[in-house]
Amino acid sequence: MGVLRAGLCPGLTQDMVQLLKSGGIKTVVELVSADLEEVAQKCGLSYKALVALRRVLLAQFSAFPFNGADLYEELKTTTAILSTGIGSLDKLLDAGLYTGEVTEIVGAPGSGKTQVCLCVAANVAHGLQQNVLYIDSNGGLTASRILQLLQARTLDEEEQVRSSSGTLKVVVVDSVAAVVAPLLGGQQREGLALMVQLARELKTLARDLSVAVLVRKWAWSAMLAFSLVPGLHQVGRCSFQVTNHMTRDRDSGQLKPALGRSWSFVPSTRLLLDSTQGSGSLGSRRVACLTKSPRLPTGCQETVDLGSWGTPAFQGDHKGHWEQSPVFQGDHT
Amino acid sequence: MCSDFHRAESGTELLARLEGRSSLKEIEPHLFADEESPVHGDILEFHGAEGTGKTEMLYHLTARCILPKSEGGLEVEVVFIDTDYHFDMLRLVTVLEHRLSQSSEEAVRHCLGRLFLLYCGGSTQLLLTLCSLQTMLCSHPSVCLLILDSLSAFYWIDRANGGESVNLQESTLKKCAHLLEKLVNEYRLVLFATTQSIMQKASNPEEGPSCAFNRPSDVDVDYRPYLCKAWQQVVKRRILFSKQNDSKAGNQFSLVSRHLKSNNLKKHFFTIGESGVEFC
Repeated sequence: MGVLRAGLCPGLTQDMVQLLKSGGIKTVVELVSADLEEVAQKCGLSYKALVALRRVLLAQFSAFPFNGADLYEELKTTTAILSTGIGSLDKLLDAGLYTGEVTEIVGAPGSGKTQVCLCVAANVAHGLQQNVLYIDSNGGLTASRILQLLQARTLDEEEQVRSSSGTLKVVVVDSVAAVVAPLLGGQQREGLALMVQLARELKTLARDLSVAVLVRKWAWSAMLAFSLVPGLHQVGRCSFQVTNHMTRDRDSGQLKPALGRSWSFVPSTRLLLDSTQGSGSLGSRRVACLTKSPRLPTGCQETVDLGSWGTPAFQGDHKGHWEQSPVFQGDHT
Repeated sequence: MCSDFHRAESGTELLARLEGRSSLKEIEPHLFADEESPVHGDILEFHGAEGTGKTEMLYHLTARCILPKSEGGLEVEVVFIDTDYHFDMLRLVTVLEHRLSQSSEEAVRHCLGRLFLLYCGGSTQLLLTLCSLQTMLCSHPSVCLLILDSLSAFYWIDRANGGESVNLQESTLKKCAHLLEKLVNEYRLVLFATTQSIMQKASNPEEGPSCAFNRPSDVDVDYRPYLCKAWQQVVKRRILFSKQNDSKAGNQFSLVSRHLKSNNLKKHFFTIGESGVEFC
């Protein structure tokens, strides 16, 4: 957007660009903030032409004022609420994941974040017949586990594999901390800038912008996944679900979500998953607590039973030591 | 910069610019005691960590402005600039529905017709948007309130893009601050801008909610200025938001309002319900 060049907007010719450059005006901002009478004298361009050029540039690059009533009408038709498939979570989320928003799931290792993501993915894909984009930076996504979750819903094999003609409605990023955390820390402010930029891209994607915007800016492998999925240009409004780790606060010693304050403003909703207090053994029950919400009071808690999804029951250690039938071993890619 | 517009301005436009703006004195009696209520040309900064109620307060003030006079509103227009895709229209509609005596679709849409939303993707776009806002304000004489949520959204991106020179990093925000001051003064608006508290607090061993009661000046420990000096100079009043953490208070929030010239401090408490902000 910054530099003036021929063809940037209707009426901006190469000659004009050269004349402006000779007068010291190289960027859009410089032209818009300059005193046009002075510029007309210095560059030899007519005052009228400059005023017209300024008007065109402003119309093209400044934000468009939407009227609230029109925006509301549009939102009523494009916003959807997607059930997670887990009743207690839906209660905390006020019926489900809202499109146009970023929902964050935070918890200590083994608290069940990946299982919740997989369950949501299975529910949206099968129950709601909509497409899900699952970006896995943790190694938690296994075909066998998805199959287990689907088998708990339907025994019809054809239904399990049928591809949907629906639109992309949910994007799951598990986990965002694994991708971003290596950039943060130390004196590098580039890391924070990249993280903030990533957050902005997530939000604009959630609110319906073309995917080309993302691919243009990013070289990260996680984001390249977008360019590889076919038919993604008609994204429409979708919902983002991200997971995040916990770190210890240096002053109070308490656990808090990782990635710091600048990230904390990004999600509109945050759920904290915790192993049931005082339960000693690592059972399958977790307590989900709503710690940030744009529409419900925070502090509500619900119990979530991980063992009730798919077979078998959750046993023993956390990191994906699922009971697997011999048929599925070796299916990992 | 507005000279080419001034030349073209007709008599009616001039009157519209100067006289049409109604007063916002009654916008929130709890927040602004009479002698300190926002006057034309005032810039107020809402500062706080995430989840402290800044955006809810903005919805509360917006609703107050766009509701018709018969329902307790001021019936004026509001321009809302959203820089981080944070604005939740459905939440604003819920707040409006709770405050209208008959919450029909028609009534809600009528109120929303007084709200204008602009989404900005970067600090340069914010600057250009503020430039083009002048035409819009000329043609809408009933806009009295300008809201910017939030001004600090581009802070890290600007710092990374500016290289090593602090001047370069802050240059766009500096221009925005000057433009904002010019806009509110020329068009007699009030500006509410939010800034996020993204810097780590200096560790203070005496921190705690009880201290905030006894020594209100301690609350300022939470505030670490990081935006450019030009912005800090145009702010007339800074309001610091925080959330009470003790469980018996439930979901209570507090704000400390500080007039920067007179150093006047005031503390208020509020909760957030279905119908929005409710002062205690």
